[in-house]
Amino acid sequence: MPARHDVRPRLSRLRLRAIEVAAGASLLSLTVVTTASAQLITIRTVPISQSEQFEFFPSRNLGMGGVNIALSDTLLDPFRNPADASRLRGSRFFSSPGTYSVTSDAGAGRTLPVGAYLRAGQWFGGLALAVQQVDASRRNVLQPPIFLEGDLTPPALRPNRPGLVTDPTLSPGNRTHGNQFATLMLGRDLHRAGLSLAGSLSWSGLNAVDGVDLLYPGSQRVDQSGHALDLRLGLLKEFADTRSFQAVVLHDRFAMTHDVMYLDQFWDPATQQIAFRQRNDRNLDHTSTWGAHLEYQLPLAAPGWRLGWLATANHMSHPKIPNYEIMNIPGDPGTSNAFNLGVGVSRRDGPATFGMDIVYEPIWSHTWALADVPIATTGGSIPAGGKTVENHFRFSNTLVRLGLDRELPVFGGRLAAFQLGLMVRSIGYHLNQDDLVAGSVRRQNESWTEWTPTWGLSLRFPEFELRYRGSMTHGSERPTSSFGGCPNCFEAVPGGIVVAPSGPMSLDPVKVVSHQVSFSLPLR
Amino acid sequence: MRAPLLRTIPIAALILAASCEQAETPPEPPPPNPTDAQLRQTLSVYGVVPIGPTPVSDPALVRLGQALMFDKILSGNRDISCATCHDPAAHLTDGLSLAIGTGALAAGGARTLGPGRRFAPRSAPTLLNQGLRAYEVFWDGRVSGFGAGPFETPAGAALPGGLPNIVAAQAMFPVLNRQEMRGDSGDLDRFGNINELARFSDDQLVETWNAVMVRLLAIPEYVTMFAAAYPGMAPQALGFRHAAAAIAAFEMQAFTRTGSPFDRFLDRDDAALSPAEKRGAVLFFGEARCSQCHNGPLLGGQSFANVGVPQLGPGTGAAAPLDLGRAGVPTQPNQPPNDFYRFAFRVPPLRNVELTAPYFHDGAYPTLDAVVHHYNDVPAAIQGFDVNQVDPAIRGTYHGSAATLADLTQHLDPRVSTPIRLTEAQLKDVVAFLKSLTDPAARDLGSLVPASVPSGLPIR
Repeated sequence: MPARHDVRPRLSRLRLRAIEVAAGASLLSLTVVTTASAQLITIRTVPISQSEQFEFFPSRNLGMGGVNIALSDTLLDPFRNPADASRLRGSRFFSSPGTYSVTSDAGAGRTLPVGAYLRAGQWFGGLALAVQQVDASRRNVLQPPIFLEGDLTPPALRPNRPGLVTDPTLSPGNRTHGNQFATLMLGRDLHRAGLSLAGSLSWSGLNAVDGVDLLYPGSQRVDQSGHALDLRLGLLKEFADTRSFQAVVLHDRFAMTHDVMYLDQFWDPATQQIAFRQRNDRNLDHTSTWGAHLEYQLPLAAPGWRLGWLATANHMSHPKIPNYEIMNIPGDPGTSNAFNLGVGVSRRDGPATFGMDIVYEPIWSHTWALADVPIATTGGSIPAGGKTVENHFRFSNTLVRLGLDRELPVFGGRLAAFQLGLMVRSIGYHLNQDDLVAGSVRRQNESWTEWTPTWGLSLRFPEFELRYRGSMTHGSERPTSSFGGCPNCFEAVPGGIVVAPSGPMSLDPVKVVSHQVSFSLPLR
Repeated sequence: MRAPLLRTIPIAALILAASCEQAETPPEPPPPNPTDAQLRQTLSVYGVVPIGPTPVSDPALVRLGQALMFDKILSGNRDISCATCHDPAAHLTDGLSLAIGTGALAAGGARTLGPGRRFAPRSAPTLLNQGLRAYEVFWDGRVSGFGAGPFETPAGAALPGGLPNIVAAQAMFPVLNRQEMRGDSGDLDRFGNINELARFSDDQLVETWNAVMVRLLAIPEYVTMFAAAYPGMAPQALGFRHAAAAIAAFEMQAFTRTGSPFDRFLDRDDAALSPAEKRGAVLFFGEARCSQCHNGPLLGGQSFANVGVPQLGPGTGAAAPLDLGRAGVPTQPNQPPNDFYRFAFRVPPLRNVELTAPYFHDGAYPTLDAVVHHYNDVPAAIQGFDVNQVDPAIRGTYHGSAATLADLTQHLDPRVSTPIRLTEAQLKDVVAFLKSLTDPAARDLGSLVPASVPSGLPIR
């Protein structure tokens, strides 16, 4: 009996967690698929981190926790505001191969970006290309083939025919898929006004967004395909006293298709056995974002100190969100309004640089589900096309970044530097869910914190610059599928029924580790 | 330049405050309402999966089976057919607590015991979804087996081979049962002729089956129908197993009704169940413990349980007037009853249960509401059974002595031996769920009744 008392609360929490995840997953897909996340605000309702997948362009500051409000990042900033490319006074070639991996074999990726910043007189531009290989977050396992052959069933129950699933096209698919990225930017300096104007176009051809496959527990195979398109117009105003002002307007379109294959069990009267049949679901994940971003930097009176602030507004419409297996909200549309307000300080003192950013993100999101057919409710009925569930999310996220950089003279006129940093992201939201069918209201609070220590090394030669940076994110989680979900699931299931290995999702903590080596060299 | 910094400090303080607020762990939220996803996962745990299509049978075989199902020629006294007790008008049962076999009187459409006859020990189970083929059939599961056999049956080695499935195996037996179809020795049939089937002793199974076939093949229309169903087979090679296979084909083809709202829910239509039905389902597969027995694809049909059903009727076997159920089926020849199964009966599949009252092996309860109240506190229900709720004709057969009730209670299945204590509202939800198992197409089965049968005997 004591053992049962010990087990019951734990399972209860597990179920609760699974349910929380089920409800929250409706917004996960709003994770920004872009290489320039600063102006696109990520909305996450589950602690599945995806950012490492898309942080593959070279950066001076990512080893410092990614501080950037009061400390410019000349390598990465042009991907956020194309007008920032004007700060690069010459033409440079760069490459930044990198990897990331999730512990527990829950995902990995490798990216090879190459690119160049070019300048000709008052015109400047850039072109960057990247190819990426992403390992799925789980092994695609066809529901064990031996199961299909009936080998797990008692001999007396085995079918006379050789295998219940004979479709030769049925395969678990490849675990690794490729993505492609291309960014083109073009701008012009208006020296007289101290202004730079530029535009950029980024396109991503996507076959694997990390973590998505985990949102369809019980599925046998998830094939992703789609693209993201990002258009930006940026302005940079640099004043003579080193103050700077930036503005960006952007439009981002994200469209993915998830083809999910399940093997559903069914009772086959002909064989008196549970057999399997294939079911293919096509889920669309579409989000369109309009955004505006302002940023201002100024020197402070104290020597070496700079102050910056930023403000961002995003309006997202998501006409289609995947109908995840773990959720009860089918393909819900919705809208979100996301903002961030940030302030940062930095100090450069000889060979040492210190920076700190604090960003606050308030987000409001409203999603709903529509009835395909008239539905009887507790108090009446909902016509076809009427809302069946409404979700009101209120996010209150905070991001703190700290970092330092110390340059060291080394032999031969070379310059070395090391970097250390820490990024802390706190995500919290309140969900108010109105189930208009059951006539019930659910209120829920969810929060978690991710800690990402970062580190970096750089070597600057006269001919080129070589950088390494790494990071390790703690606090991320990855779903695992488990049995359960029933009030008596800790008791033996009678009848000897063969149960498919699908169940409610629970989350296990993982660490996400990334490494990147980048180098850049002047072209002329 | 100091002013901007000073202005920034309050903003930073606010942001830090917000950050600190987030760092607090929120209180654990209250348990949410059950979701479709949660219910689906629970169903998966209990092996409740959609029902696939039944195999399509040869139309000639099905036509033959339909004729045999409704033809009283199969009974010794030519007064009862399979469909008499498995009447489409009563959803393939007879609506009686205990079945009435051959020799019944029919007045105003209601069948009553004939002179010298007695009730069968158990109710006639519905044949709805018999074609889905559970592992055991009959209330005591005395016929069991998988696929095309071999089958465990009371016939032992006398059972002919070649039976295609358990439904056909089951169909071999009612014609042997004196109370149900064969009649007693000395009976005269409806025309005053000797009932030749009743003349065989109870261990002359093969002879009885052969005698039935003699009757059938004496009718030219049956000869034609058998020839169509079994082309190329000489009449002398036909046995009653061929008739049983045809009856089974008809049952599987015509009696399968799996279009209930619950089946639509299993096929991923979340809107198929009402909120009350979903609440009931969550109870059914959880707190109410129903799924501890009623699980698997058929929601039952694969185990036995003593759930404390009051003992009614003449009883059966050596324990009569009690009915020990599964315990009365020897696991080995000449073995004593297995007390583990004392008073245990087959856990029936539940689809369309709303239509097949009265309930349990002896029809002790007339409504689903009464059934769920019984389960809510089985020990109390055993002691407090109100015999007035059953047919007056069988009230006198209630075995409610203290010793019997103690015996029944002592051998209760542990899954029902303690009260569940659902509220009235919860019990209503469970009933709502049970009614969601009804296929609308099962409500009227009148179209299954043929206009006539080859023997020319009346169908009603």
